[in-house]
Amino acid sequence: MAGLIIPSLLETIYMVSVSTVFSILLGFPLGVLLVITEKDNIWEKPMFNKVLGGIINVLRSIPFIILMIIVFPISKLIVGKTIGTTATIVPLSIAAAPFVARVMESSLKETPKGVIESSLAMGATVPQIVLKVLIPESLPSIVSGITLTIINLIGYSAMAGAIGGGGLGNLAIRFGLYSRKTDIMIASILLIILLVQGIQFLGNKLSKLVNKK
Amino acid sequence: MKKVLSLALILVLSLSLLIGCSSNSTELEKIKIGVSPEPHAKLVELVVDDLKKEGVEVEIVIFTDYITPNLSLDSGELDANFFQHEPYLNNHVAEEGLDIVSLGKVHIEPMALYSNKYKSVDELPDGATISIPNDTVNGGRALLLLEANGLIKLKEGVGVNATEVDIVENPKNLKFQALEAAILPVTLDDVDGAVINGNYALEAGLNPVKDGLIVEGGESPYANLVAVKAGQENEDKFVKLLKALQSEKVRKYIEETYQGAVVPAF
Repeated sequence: MAGLIIPSLLETIYMVSVSTVFSILLGFPLGVLLVITEKDNIWEKPMFNKVLGGIINVLRSIPFIILMIIVFPISKLIVGKTIGTTATIVPLSIAAAPFVARVMESSLKETPKGVIESSLAMGATVPQIVLKVLIPESLPSIVSGITLTIINLIGYSAMAGAIGGGGLGNLAIRFGLYSRKTDIMIASILLIILLVQGIQFLGNKLSKLVNKK
Repeated sequence: MKKVLSLALILVLSLSLLIGCSSNSTELEKIKIGVSPEPHAKLVELVVDDLKKEGVEVEIVIFTDYITPNLSLDSGELDANFFQHEPYLNNHVAEEGLDIVSLGKVHIEPMALYSNKYKSVDELPDGATISIPNDTVNGGRALLLLEANGLIKLKEGVGVNATEVDIVENPKNLKFQALEAAILPVTLDDVDGAVINGNYALEAGLNPVKDGLIVEGGESPYANLVAVKAGQENEDKFVKLLKALQSEKVRKYIEETYQGAVVPAF
């Protein structure tokens, strides 16, 4: 059984960690744009904001199993393959990026309006406000958002079995549920629970830590 | 008086005709067979006349569900049915406690091994990657096809529930990539070979007979079979029925009509 579970655990960690990084790289700037281009915000672009919001909603609406297949050409371009664990990182990142954008948007919006206005009054530029005010002010909430994203990605990765991604979720489904090997199902689900608990615990700790400014 | 006479004559004549008919039909053995519409009903229709010449009258009853034909056969309302494959039959027999058995296999909608890189299984290199469906039913079926062609050997007794962990011998060191059955044709370029269900292959423009490196046939438990009540499988009329369904005429019809989507399993 360990021969099945350990590679699956490693696959999950690999898929989730790499796609977390890419989804944040893609989604975080989008989240920032969603906030600052909003009406009455520091870089007001209402039309752009609406279009961006629309695109993000569209991406979030596509069922993941279908999205995995739609992005095949992109996977081919980046990874050179459409199936397997590494190729799965592409759809995972693309699926999680709009989610990250929305989570970051709500985190960044927590910054009190007064703080932004006083920075503007002091002559701060838009990039300065983003980097020195918005992000530091909402850091604890951003950390919680990233925690949420990682756990969300663990959930998504369970479906990655469809394109050969492997991982614990796939093991639980294929060998546990379909082939009725209950021991494997229980073991892999327990491991997923441990992963989720551990990540939530660390995320909460980190969020508290960055809050003590 | 004349009228009465002629009436009596008609009566006598028609009576004799009736007797003649009934005595004639007692010579015909009857089979009431429950079938699925396509291709099962078509195949049986094809042999109705031939069987009549052999003294067997076949009545076709079309079913569109997969439960009643077995229950009706078990209760005696049907003499035979033709719609299912062996794993389904075994499962239904076990679940409902039915007393029915397989008479023989007729056709199959074949799974096949396809490759965009190699023309035959002998060309498959050591360590080649083969993708198979990731659900238990089709995954097991794919592995059975590979085993039937000597590419792998599966653990004794796992049968249709086999997964890639049940492989005990793998002389070519094939690597298996389990994928959602529907995406196997789309990802064919990324692997050395893929075992694909007939319907998905045909939708993707792959023909089992023309393009398959290896194709399922009569050895597959997933071939569609004729079932009868247990103990009746050696009765003369059923032997004749199976012989007719496994005839060259049926083979030719299947090959010409279905162009590889359905292949003979005999």
